[in-house]
Amino acid sequence: METLLLIIFGIIIAPILGGLISGADRKITARFQSRFGPPILQPFYDVAKLFGKVKVINNFWQVFCAWVYLIAAALSVGLFFAQSDLLMIFFVQAIGAVFLVMGGLASPSPYSQVGAHRELIQVLTYEPLIILVFAAIFMVTGTFRIDEILAYKEPLLIKLPLIFVVLGYVLTIKLRKSPFDFSTSHHAHQELVKGVLTEFSGPYLAIIEIAHWYETVLILGICALFWHTSFVGVVLLLVSTYLAEILIDNTMARMTWRWMLKYVWSVGLVMSFVNLIWLHVG
Amino acid sequence: MLPMMLALVILLPLMAALGCYFLRVSAIRNMIVLVTGICIAATSLVLLGGGSFTYSPGTLLGVSWDSLVTLADFSLLFVILYYAFKLKNQLIKVFAILQIIPLAVFELFIVDHAVEVPAFYADSLALIMVAVISIIGSLICFFAIPYMKEHEEHLHLVNSRQPRFFFYLVLFLGAMNGLVLSNNILWLYFFFEVTTFCSFMLIGHDDTEIAVKNATRALWMNALGGVAFVFGMIWAYTEVGSLSLQTIINAGPMGGLMIVPVGLLCLAGFTKAAQVPFQSWLLGAMVAPTPVSALLHSSTMVKAGVYIVLRLAPAYAGTFFSQGIALCGAFTFLSCAAIAVSQSNGKKILAYSTISNLGLIICCAGLNTPWATSAAIILIIFHAISKALLFLCVGTIELGIGSRNIEDMHGLYLKMPRTAIITIIGILTMILPPFGVLLGKWMAIEAASSNMFVIVMLALGSALSVVFWARWAGILLTAPIRNKVPAESQNILTKFTLKTLAGASVVLSLFSPAIYTSLIEPMIGKTYHISAGIFSSPVGTYAVYPIFFVLAVAFIYAWLETKKSGNIQNSQSYLCGANVKEPGVQAFIGPMNKPVGLSSSNYYLEALFGEEKLTLWINFVALALIVLMLGGAV
Repeated sequence: METLLLIIFGIIIAPILGGLISGADRKITARFQSRFGPPILQPFYDVAKLFGKVKVINNFWQVFCAWVYLIAAALSVGLFFAQSDLLMIFFVQAIGAVFLVMGGLASPSPYSQVGAHRELIQVLTYEPLIILVFAAIFMVTGTFRIDEILAYKEPLLIKLPLIFVVLGYVLTIKLRKSPFDFSTSHHAHQELVKGVLTEFSGPYLAIIEIAHWYETVLILGICALFWHTSFVGVVLLLVSTYLAEILIDNTMARMTWRWMLKYVWSVGLVMSFVNLIWLHVG
Repeated sequence: MLPMMLALVILLPLMAALGCYFLRVSAIRNMIVLVTGICIAATSLVLLGGGSFTYSPGTLLGVSWDSLVTLADFSLLFVILYYAFKLKNQLIKVFAILQIIPLAVFELFIVDHAVEVPAFYADSLALIMVAVISIIGSLICFFAIPYMKEHEEHLHLVNSRQPRFFFYLVLFLGAMNGLVLSNNILWLYFFFEVTTFCSFMLIGHDDTEIAVKNATRALWMNALGGVAFVFGMIWAYTEVGSLSLQTIINAGPMGGLMIVPVGLLCLAGFTKAAQVPFQSWLLGAMVAPTPVSALLHSSTMVKAGVYIVLRLAPAYAGTFFSQGIALCGAFTFLSCAAIAVSQSNGKKILAYSTISNLGLIICCAGLNTPWATSAAIILIIFHAISKALLFLCVGTIELGIGSRNIEDMHGLYLKMPRTAIITIIGILTMILPPFGVLLGKWMAIEAASSNMFVIVMLALGSALSVVFWARWAGILLTAPIRNKVPAESQNILTKFTLKTLAGASVVLSLFSPAIYTSLIEPMIGKTYHISAGIFSSPVGTYAVYPIFFVLAVAFIYAWLETKKSGNIQNSQSYLCGANVKEPGVQAFIGPMNKPVGLSSSNYYLEALFGEEKLTLWINFVALALIVLMLGGAV
């Protein structure tokens, strides 16, 4: 019963949090660029406006894929709040990722097609790293279950500093921030228009936006596990991580997928190995 | 009752095969295939319900079955030698002779024939294998009936070659059942050789130049496995003094020298399961008609390889050799998933994904913990269903659109809606929760999580497989909107097999907790606690029922929303210019006011994962790993 309440709480609170984070992101980014920026609640206004628009689609499978993407993202957050298994949460999240790509591929528009393929390469890049992050957490705590991990006495950050950096890469890719924002960029003048999202509009784009909020909260939730022992620690860790994301986003140029795959895999794997060897030695 | 059932699953296919060959009327042949399939499928379920047993058949008209098997074995080896001369292939000659001579010496001078050895031994693993072979194998044979008719019409043959085709197809099922039930290692070896020979004949069925070439390669690679098997068998006998597989396994890792013969037997399993560097024969096997590929890749042949490695797992538990097997398997999983990304040929993608998944199963055997063994068995069951389904889908698509290239499958939904949706279901059951293959993958990753090298390879391989599956599922849907999608007509047997397999891949996933508690748990002990359809252990939880329920609701809801969208406004796709406004045309108005058609194709990431580029290195590394594994055994 308690678990069920936690799931429902998570599913309700996550999009609100995600939207607020997105709003704060835009505000801070604007300040970085000497602009005033929209109000913090702007993402909610955007989504509300999108819901009011006329429904237009290119292929009806897009509707199906958008909904499954949203529900899978919400379910993964719900399972996270239910303190379930990290690997299982990740696999449920992957349902959403796969359906977003399928939705993109459902349209014949070359922009959408190429965007979907680029999105797949982003998935390919972060997936192994996130499994390694979970394996590292397992090696420290002896479990994949969040309820058991929370019972661990000291912050994971002490033993897994490099793994946390690896998770930072995952977060950057998942948030689609520079230099990894080539499947869908925030700016409409890019070479790919809006990539995988090109053919989604109106209410269906709003659905995808909300799903994206869920995913943001999920990845930040996993970050929070690295300092689960103290509330202040969690807030400190998340705020500094997200600020670092914004800083990176604003100071980096977009790179190509070839660069991303080679760079992130090699750097990520080396850092994971080094950190895991520390664990074996220590 | 038991001898009757054993005769049904092993001897009936042999009789039926002869019937298919000699009674050359298609209606009779179809009837034989259907009845045999139903009989062995039903019997396999009864056997599964009956539980484990040990059994020895007595004599047939005063002649012991042992001597019959020996006779048949030598006849088969000489037939292979005959083909070696016919094909003028030196390798096969050498490998055949390397089997015949040691085996003759073994039979005549070494084996003590007075000792009674139980011929059959069945536990849950063997019975699950029998069910997989008999049920999925039979479904594939059913599918083959209309498929081969159409296939031969395409080829404009004067004389039908179907009698020969069904002879080997049905015989294959009997041989596989014999293989997994055998306890006498000489019997096991005989059935092992029968499967080698059947696959050789089936791959070469179309008798084209390429088919013969690939069949020859399959034969020499599997004959190499046969040689390893013979030497492993003789060595094991000299160490243990028994032909009983159970005795050999229980002699276990205590005697350090036992690892070498067990290692040779596993090497035979590696060749049969097409592990790198032996993958090329299975890739070549896709030139055969689709039912053959489906059979080889899902329920027979390659599964015999993983079965042997998994069966012997207790014999090498806790050794360096076991870790070597885990590394080899994980490497195959990773490398074949990587090459699969660069492929556009649908059958080749399936072939590489099969080898990759077999690598995962072998990796689990090498990890050798109860968790890993559960993972391996779950993977064997669900991989067989989904892979059989996908091969048959590609076969159906190929007959429908005349191509097996996935580039040509863009928008298949508009032409073959039913097949497209079933293919997508097959694909999703390979990669997403709560389906059985992913449950197995979850168990495998949790079992491997303290092994740094294995977990890295599993993580990379698992991500790579998402790429080629999701891409394929997506492009089947690619289409500009149409108001009406024409219905697709399918032969009744085609429709039946595709629907049954698709249904089984989904529904059996729902029953995976029950499959675990009733079949796997009694054999390897309690490793997961199950309540309300949730697998849990101190290490992890996997909620089958809750996810299944939520996703079922999600899919139904999403489908209702999709249906509602039928009357909403349609847009042409965005082309960054003025679209040509004719219905059915995908083009924009370009320079000089000329329409420019649009085209896009998939990313294959060939610069990174190209087959040509990787194969040499992968074979090299795999060979090094095998040397490491076997060297460590000595």
